[in-house]
Amino acid sequence: MRSPRSFWLEAAGFLFLAFLAAGISNAFAGAERKLKWAGSYEQKGAAAAAAVRPTAAAAAAVTPSLGAPAGAKMFPPHPDKASLDITGEDVVELHGRKTVPFLDARRSSVYRDGHIAGARPFSVWESDVDDKVKAFFAEGTDQSAPIVVYCSGGTCEDSHMLAEKLYLVGFDNVLIYKDGYPDWVKRGMPVSKGNEP
Amino acid sequence: MLASEWLTVRVQFVLAAFFVVAGLAKIADPPGFAHEIHNYGLVPGAFVNAMALVLPWLEVITGVALFLGMARRTAARILGILLIVFIVALSINLARGKPVDCGCFGVSTVQKTDAERLKDMKLVILRDVGLLLLAAQILYATKRQERI
Repeated sequence: MRSPRSFWLEAAGFLFLAFLAAGISNAFAGAERKLKWAGSYEQKGAAAAAAVRPTAAAAAAVTPSLGAPAGAKMFPPHPDKASLDITGEDVVELHGRKTVPFLDARRSSVYRDGHIAGARPFSVWESDVDDKVKAFFAEGTDQSAPIVVYCSGGTCEDSHMLAEKLYLVGFDNVLIYKDGYPDWVKRGMPVSKGNEP
Repeated sequence: MLASEWLTVRVQFVLAAFFVVAGLAKIADPPGFAHEIHNYGLVPGAFVNAMALVLPWLEVITGVALFLGMARRTAARILGILLIVFIVALSINLARGKPVDCGCFGVSTVQKTDAERLKDMKLVILRDVGLLLLAAQILYATKRQERI
């Protein structure tokens, strides 16, 4: 009869092979399939608790107009929260300003199939998202100006996860299009296909 | 009858095929599987990616070993443990009333309502219990063969 030790040895062997195969497969995977070994997925609200922020009043005083046209609805920064949910009407209004960045948190393959015209791909599940967030910050984008983030609406949490990442690097006016891309399509608003915004 | 080699070999093939196919589907899209694991809300964020990378390969390697009849008791035990983990994870979310896609065969492209997802979770638990019985049959049969 086999000893229990042989089970542990064989199980360790299987696990070792699984780690080895995963390491090799991940090393040769393309950008869309690659994963960092250590995940950095903030739970909703965790970033807000961790970050030290100026007060809302101080932030609003720095950027009173936020680049909005005269008479347009204001979207003041919210340094105490990673994101705020906004409606489809607000998103249409912000899109019309042409100066508000739109970030798509869905997978790149889904982005290629169709996205909000002008939106940039920021798939929160792909390995290069942290680099994209850092590069976005390095572009010198106004950290208090509105940024619209969206995913597929409904129970989709990708936009909230991307908002947490943006908040951690200093963006404190991230607005989440809560009904997401399906609502945009339903409204008949402009969409683009392919890799380019 | 329950411990016959004829039956055990067929059970081995069914269980192995299931895990190899499920593992390969997940290997094809690790970020998608990481997303599904994260949705369960049971694994700390730091471990989600490592789990998404290793678990599918463990399924495939163990499944292939079972198919070839190599270390089949160990392979059946590992697959049994995995099935228990899957059943517990789904049951916790079912008890929470939180609908999740099982992620068993990678990312589902079908849009489902919450009610449909909750119903699917119950069916997946039943299926996993059935697969667990197959793993138990292999362990029972191979134990008897070892004694003989």
